[in-house]
Amino acid sequence: MTDSATRTKRSTKQAMGPYGQVSKVVDELDERFGVAKGGRIFLDKIFPDHWSFMLGEIALYSFVVLIATGIFLALFFVPSASQVIYHGAYAPLRGQRVSEAYQSTVNISFSVRGGLLIRQMHHWAADIFVGSIIVHMARIFFTGAFRKPRELNWTIGIFMLVLAVLEGFIGYSLPDDLISGTGLRIGYSIAESQPFIGSYMVSFLWGGQFPGDGSIIPRFFIIHVLIIPLVLLGLITVHLALLVRQKHTQFASEGRTEDNVVGSPMFPTFMAKTTGFLFMVTGVTALLGAFAQINPIWQFGSYEPSKISYAVQPDWYMGMLDGALRIMPSWEFAGFGHTVPLEVFLPSVLFPTLLITLWLLYPGLERRITGDHAMHNLLDRPRDRPKRTAAGVAMFTFMFTLFAASSTDVLANFFHVSLNATLWFFRIAIFVVPAIAAWVTYELCREMQGVHGIGKRKRAVIVRRSEQGEYSTVPSAPRPDDEHVEIDPEPVPVRIDIEPLGNGDGRQAEPSPTGMRQVTR
Amino acid sequence: MRVLLTRKFRAQFLLPAGLLTVAAMASLAVFFPGGGAGASGHADASQVSTNAKQVLKACGSVNTKGVTPVPNSGNPFTSTNLICHGGNLLSYGNDSITYANPPASYIAAGRALFAQSCSSCHGNTANGTMTVGGKVEPTIGPNLQGVGAATVDFWVSSGRMPATDVKAVEAERRPSRLTPKQALELAAWVNSLDPAAPAVPFPHLKGANQSVGASLFSLNCAACHTITGAGDALAYNTNAPSLQNRQITPQQVVEAIRTGPANMPRFSGNLSDAQVRDITSYVTGRLQHPTNPGGFGLGGVGPVAEGFVALLIGVGGLALICFWIGERS
Amino acid sequence: MSDADHQPSRTRVPMPIAALSDPHMSDAARHPKRVENIIALILVVAMIFFGLAGAAYWQNWNAWTFGGALGGGLFALGFGLTAWGKYLMPQGPFVEERHVLASTPDERNAMSAALVERSAVVVRRRKVLGGLFAAGAGIFGIVAAFPLIRSLGPLPKDELDVNQWTAGSVLVDSNGRPVRRDTLVIGGIMTVYPRNQMRMEDGQVTFTDQGLATDQTVLIRLSHEPFTTMPGRETWTPDGYVAYSKVCTHLGCPVGLYEQELEVLVCPCHQSMFNVRNGAVPQFGPAPRPLPQLPLGYNDQGYLIATATYDQPLGPGFFERTT
Repeated sequence: MTDSATRTKRSTKQAMGPYGQVSKVVDELDERFGVAKGGRIFLDKIFPDHWSFMLGEIALYSFVVLIATGIFLALFFVPSASQVIYHGAYAPLRGQRVSEAYQSTVNISFSVRGGLLIRQMHHWAADIFVGSIIVHMARIFFTGAFRKPRELNWTIGIFMLVLAVLEGFIGYSLPDDLISGTGLRIGYSIAESQPFIGSYMVSFLWGGQFPGDGSIIPRFFIIHVLIIPLVLLGLITVHLALLVRQKHTQFASEGRTEDNVVGSPMFPTFMAKTTGFLFMVTGVTALLGAFAQINPIWQFGSYEPSKISYAVQPDWYMGMLDGALRIMPSWEFAGFGHTVPLEVFLPSVLFPTLLITLWLLYPGLERRITGDHAMHNLLDRPRDRPKRTAAGVAMFTFMFTLFAASSTDVLANFFHVSLNATLWFFRIAIFVVPAIAAWVTYELCREMQGVHGIGKRKRAVIVRRSEQGEYSTVPSAPRPDDEHVEIDPEPVPVRIDIEPLGNGDGRQAEPSPTGMRQVTR
Repeated sequence: MRVLLTRKFRAQFLLPAGLLTVAAMASLAVFFPGGGAGASGHADASQVSTNAKQVLKACGSVNTKGVTPVPNSGNPFTSTNLICHGGNLLSYGNDSITYANPPASYIAAGRALFAQSCSSCHGNTANGTMTVGGKVEPTIGPNLQGVGAATVDFWVSSGRMPATDVKAVEAERRPSRLTPKQALELAAWVNSLDPAAPAVPFPHLKGANQSVGASLFSLNCAACHTITGAGDALAYNTNAPSLQNRQITPQQVVEAIRTGPANMPRFSGNLSDAQVRDITSYVTGRLQHPTNPGGFGLGGVGPVAEGFVALLIGVGGLALICFWIGERS
Repeated sequence: MSDADHQPSRTRVPMPIAALSDPHMSDAARHPKRVENIIALILVVAMIFFGLAGAAYWQNWNAWTFGGALGGGLFALGFGLTAWGKYLMPQGPFVEERHVLASTPDERNAMSAALVERSAVVVRRRKVLGGLFAAGAGIFGIVAAFPLIRSLGPLPKDELDVNQWTAGSVLVDSNGRPVRRDTLVIGGIMTVYPRNQMRMEDGQVTFTDQGLATDQTVLIRLSHEPFTTMPGRETWTPDGYVAYSKVCTHLGCPVGLYEQELEVLVCPCHQSMFNVRNGAVPQFGPAPRPLPQLPLGYNDQGYLIATATYDQPLGPGFFERTT
């Protein structure tokens, strides 16, 4: 490189200003779209650092994994119930009559390179997706983050949970294997149990009496790959847009008030952490997909209505419904020339509808009961709201008991007790266990409120024996880490000033070198 | 400010992580029933074929209790390869399964063994009665006369008999206290009291069609044993045992299908010997040795185990990572 | 710390110098160099894993290697980046003020006024037009929804009430073989279908969808002699054979689990238990009704047949089911 060339390059660089190419790109974009101000605000957006605020990200990123792996699977899956003779790679199926949907799923597992891994990642991500939504929801509930002004985001969250469960069930049904086909048969009977509309609904949806005219698989396919994901995507967008607009909640502590948000900036700290977390979620899913076999449909065989396996369970998030169906007594209403199978309709249609309605209405209910109509940006500690915490724990134990009831046979087998006794246990436990859990939680919260310094580490006590034989106790010296808890938290001295910088003459403005002007309060 | 190995880090991250790992391992261990390589059922087959060669081809009358005259369903009349000696049926069957009664030389040893291990529950002549103080009373165990050699061999070779707990609803499989030869000796003696079919089966798995076996398994067997053969609890404290246990020999699978031990239905004319052989090949070839290309099989108990893993390792593990990333005050 | 310490200078300062000068922009780690080395190592590990994944894919090694390497690489990459963010990036804590989202009362009033007054003007003056438009939109809604729903499938007629068993239907097993007197011994069970639903496809015996789903029936042999499951069914069990619908009255699962000593059929889905000797009356579990029983007999060839069809709709309850 010649001397003059170097000089030219350097002078070009100088002409572009200290921020080089980036500022040129920003200029070009800003002239057209006016991105600079809003973009700056976005880069400065503050995210609270508390770990529980990342639970929702597990759900978000497993959704990303679901979309990515789902696109791959959609390239190979054939949504058709037509019967073909299997001639693929898995020997124990060769010569059997299977549906095209089943055959293509087995082919994804055995003949498409990397297909089994992607299929298993997709299934694991689905299980994690629903699980993390519920864990995230628990955090929102127990800390009171659903209160005004965030009721709408709570509502959207509930709808997303319902959609996620539905999406999971439909996706589970697509391979048309023996286990999922049985689940579909049960789904058919549940829909059929509804008074007035039941038999019409199943006839329309399945295209006739079970197993229908084969249209259920392509219909489920389009619902699974397009309709519900699209709705979910829209809801996620609104969910996040509301979050940005209303800003995060935070736990109260020194410097953290109703009127501010304390934490790390979007760029670069939070962005690095959250992008890294996206990779870690994908990595965990891939590791599970690699080492833990899920839904080995080649063992199950294609669905045929007169075949059945014992110990058939739906995926865990449907287990609640299955548990409710199992422990329901056999009450069927028959009269006036009609039949209403209450033993199906109540636990699997009415009960979930009421439950979801209750969740949707909860923020309004709590507001009415407590008379608290104020805006809340600071979170409650669960122990400070013993009644709400007790109600939440009761709901979770209730759901968990139902979930456990869906595996009465597996539990009976594992603990070597009678299946009948297990079922009766759950019929009683479903009422008793949540009540006990609520009571214990309530008492525990009340206890914890009264104790000073709860949650801090106990300091050891040294017992000394004097020469006269008397015993006395003295507290031990604080250990190095105890100090960390016991000193006052660091003051929060700076804030990001996101007022527009500069005095109006473009590039000659006074940008903070860091992008954040920090002002001591 | 924060160094990885401070006491706080250890207490707040490593400890819960360790506990979670241990819990996860423990939960995984639950789903992995220990199954080592087991004894093979093929060993005795050669022995029987040599026995078969020694016998004469003359048959007398044969007790037909418990048999059905449907071709190739454990039934001597419609079988090829019928071999008899001195009026005693020795072996019969076809290309799929050879049924053979233990040689007569086993009877004497069987009688002694029965008196020692079985007679207290089944009576001295295995007829389910016992004379106590001049009165004939039923014994704890059932009448064994006329059940056929296969039944006796199944119960004894699978370790269910002699029973360890006579009051149990069902005898459970355990390592047999008697050798395979002793089981055959007992079968020989019991069968000699009232000869009946089926005799002890020796399946020829070489030509088996596992695909047919898989299909028949899902129609006839999976309703109790589950589609992966994991087994499960049934009504009123009964159980369908796991078929994934590699101790289970092909011979025992055929015996169970043909004799219907305890609450298991007895499959006779509706499954041909060829079909039984196909099912057996699927059970011992696939269910006991699943290829599991997708990783650990999680015990083949389906979505329950999968849900535990997804919630514990998936959501739990990721929540722990959140715990590491974020602040914990 | 005084204000002056944190006020940025008015001159442009290259980013790294400013970042280092500000305590809140400094690394979080106590030993940044050490942490940086560790993160670098993790990122290199990620690269190695990705290379391994590529090799595993290219050479088509087993799925464990490919997935394990891919997952390990992704995890390491993410772990490195997150650790970078956590230990080597500005930790603040920074504060962002929350701005009140609500508008002023005047602005709200203005919006309400605009909505109410303008619409009041419109509606008051053009009531008929408003009504017509609403009616038109409503009719469109109904008309548009109708084909969407109605075109999906046929109207249910009597499909749920009927089955394909008729008087004289020969019972055949899944391979199409008819059942004879001697097919089952006591304690045996098999699944049977009506022969009129049998067909050949690709050289295999199979059945119509309805034959498999609706007509599936379990045939059980309980004894050598006929017995009575319920009053009025004395002749339904020739030679101790009894047949029940295999479709559970709870949710329609195939009731294929039979325990021969207990003489009980169990539904594998929700564990309803039916006593086969006593008309399959449910004795435990959520099933509301007995399994319908199929009356049996023999035809001239000695094959087991149905002497009549089922006397009630099969399977789970539905609204139109007359009692």
